[in-house]
Amino acid sequence: MNQTESKYILEMHHISKSFGGVSALQDVSFKCSPGTVHALVGENGAGKSTLIKILSGALKADSGEIIFKGKNHSSFSTREALNQGISVIYQELALVLQMTVAENIFLGREPRNAFGLVDQVRLRSAAQDLLEQLGIKIDLDMEVGDLSVAYQQMIEIAKALSKNADLIVMDEPSAILAGSELEQLFKIIQSLVKGGVSVIYISHRLEEVFKIADVVSVLKDGQLVDTKPIKELDRSQLVRMMVGRSLEEVFPVSTHQPEDIILEAKNISTDTILNQVSLYIRKGEIVGLAGMVGSGRTELARALFGADMLASGSISLKGKQIFLNNPSDAIKKKVSLVPEDRKQQGLFIGLPIRNNISMSILRNISLWGFLNWKKEKEIVELARKKHSIAMVSGNQEIQFLSGGNQQKVVLAKWLQTRPEVIIMDEPTRGIDVGAKFEIYQLMRQLNKAGIAILMISSELIEILGMSDRILVMKEGSIVAELQSSETSEEQIIEYATTK
Amino acid sequence: MESSSSGIRENKGLRFQEFITGYGVYLALVILLIVAALITPNLFEKETLAVMFRQCAQLGIIAIGQTMVMLVAGLDLSVGGVIVMTSIVVAEVSNGKDEMIPIAILTALIFGMLVGLGNGLLITKRKVPPLVATLVMLFLVQGAHQAFTRGVPGGFVPEAMGIVNQSWGFISIPLMVWIGLNIVFIVILNGTSYGRRIYATGSNPEAARLTGIPVNLIKISVYVLASGLAVISGVILTGYVGYVDRFIATGFDLDSIAAAVVGGTAFFGGKGGLVGTIAGVLIIQILSTMVVLIGLEIETQFIIKGIVILAAVSLYGLARKNH
Repeated sequence: MNQTESKYILEMHHISKSFGGVSALQDVSFKCSPGTVHALVGENGAGKSTLIKILSGALKADSGEIIFKGKNHSSFSTREALNQGISVIYQELALVLQMTVAENIFLGREPRNAFGLVDQVRLRSAAQDLLEQLGIKIDLDMEVGDLSVAYQQMIEIAKALSKNADLIVMDEPSAILAGSELEQLFKIIQSLVKGGVSVIYISHRLEEVFKIADVVSVLKDGQLVDTKPIKELDRSQLVRMMVGRSLEEVFPVSTHQPEDIILEAKNISTDTILNQVSLYIRKGEIVGLAGMVGSGRTELARALFGADMLASGSISLKGKQIFLNNPSDAIKKKVSLVPEDRKQQGLFIGLPIRNNISMSILRNISLWGFLNWKKEKEIVELARKKHSIAMVSGNQEIQFLSGGNQQKVVLAKWLQTRPEVIIMDEPTRGIDVGAKFEIYQLMRQLNKAGIAILMISSELIEILGMSDRILVMKEGSIVAELQSSETSEEQIIEYATTK
Repeated sequence: MESSSSGIRENKGLRFQEFITGYGVYLALVILLIVAALITPNLFEKETLAVMFRQCAQLGIIAIGQTMVMLVAGLDLSVGGVIVMTSIVVAEVSNGKDEMIPIAILTALIFGMLVGLGNGLLITKRKVPPLVATLVMLFLVQGAHQAFTRGVPGGFVPEAMGIVNQSWGFISIPLMVWIGLNIVFIVILNGTSYGRRIYATGSNPEAARLTGIPVNLIKISVYVLASGLAVISGVILTGYVGYVDRFIATGFDLDSIAAAVVGGTAFFGGKGGLVGTIAGVLIIQILSTMVVLIGLEIETQFIIKGIVILAAVSLYGLARKNH
């Protein structure tokens, strides 16, 4: 199969691309060997997506050449890229949720019978072969919408394979996975690679890069910093290549001693998954909440915030029992929730930054319902300075900000309410290392000011780096309470997964 | 994602988008006026303008409510029904007596707002899609008209209601009511926390709820307001016509949606506003008037309306896709 003259399946030489005078990629050269996992890392805005879009034909490079399987393809169209064997799996999966697994894999390329109708028998057997090849056990007739995101992603991979892809690009596949799902993805990637397929793996999560990649390329500010075999690097070297800052500096050290208990939940259960959960958080403490996706972490957050109703149990704040019928009750009691899904739950994506920041405190900036624009402007300006939000003006729509800046706006919105307890569900998901660092620093500042933080995260390195105490959830219950100084990633995973 | 971090590009996209969504409809209005000046100069005669502005006002008052409903990602098909109901109630309650007008209007307002409440409750509590919920309410209201009037509306419209025909040049009472209501609701939408909550509810109801906004209450209130505005339009229309007509409001529901859409209010909520809707109303009425003035078949109106909405929707779609 790979009898090309070059020892690389893909070579991108001196690729440059600019948008309206701003350079997104500058003289980037990138080579990928067959049968390897090549990680592509870098902060948001470093140029990863642009490079991938050029590779997939979605964008055209201003200069440079692409050699794929020995042939020059300087201007791919997306269809050509596909036909040549390049498949890109984006974060937003391109599946039809109402169709079955088999139909999705061969969508638009269904085998036909003599009458020109879809040949269901061949469709199913071909789909079955592919899934077996990947070692996935799913019912072919299930609607894709009924599957977990992890399985949906696997179907995307099967789809890529069905197109005889030699090079599969995965754009942050782990952003939606946790624990054992990730393990399964890695197994699939390994079997792909064994079969001679090359994988370009884009990720923010360094621990994964070390686990799965053979070679890593680092992009920074549109330029290639270096390409190196992963064996020659350690974590802090890689972080330094990405941000010019070492790992020790990423997690600011806690200098603060937690005080009295502020929020306490006793035996709370919900109609969904929560089962007799008890926990407490002290003033000025960061409690890390670990567990797999679906373990009830998010449901716990929502219950503590009044977004979901309790079936039983009680919540008390500063020793007094409180009853939360809706988020508004929680906000009045100085409890805030920074939700998991920034776009779906955190932001008003089509509205200006100014509206987003002031939405939680409209009452404070209005008199008889009429807004005080001057006061609002001051608040926005203050937030911009305090959290160094990169924005043009408060009237700018928030969709034009980067993920990290959007998250800062969400945090700013909640800090306006002067909360005493903040629940943060995946506070750094999908944002770059630089912005992460700023959010960690902010969390420490809040800590010092006596604010209690419950942080849910799928990134164990973050849980370990930031938490004073760690709670592990599994199947709707808290199964372990650990001191972060005395535990390890392995131990947390064990609690989160063992039956 | 990467490209959005480059400042220049986002500004360019922003400007194009802002221009089209903010001023595109006014540009279209100016072009239309120039075209009208060339091919139907008699549009600008005082009498024609007076009639046209009166029609603008009747449609425009409903379009205010329709725009607000669309801002919370809704739709109100029941406004036409509410207008007819208003005219029936006013005639029945007052039975032609001038001194009964306030009570008659108040009764109509209560009935109308009950329809809005029904819309809002169906949509928020029973999770019925707005299209279906307001259609259901429309059927209920129409059925009630028929059952109550047996097809022959009774009662008389008080003479004093003819005051709405009062005009000074092309400035009439309906026009002033339309302008006044626009000012009030533009201030509400842009300058009050209630307005902010309307936009937030339409933009992202889940985020709004998690920010402590009573999303359901906001939606219900908007439907109630929309029906209230339909009652006001109905009172004006009744006074103008002077008798009760079951077909008095035919086409108003869809036209008000068209006006909002042409004015740049999006179906998915949280985008648009009354400034655009005013222009949308003017464009639709100018076109309708021109069709009459040129002497084209009345059917042509529909075709032109269709083309205008299509053009507007594709332009806005283009502008929103641009980033």
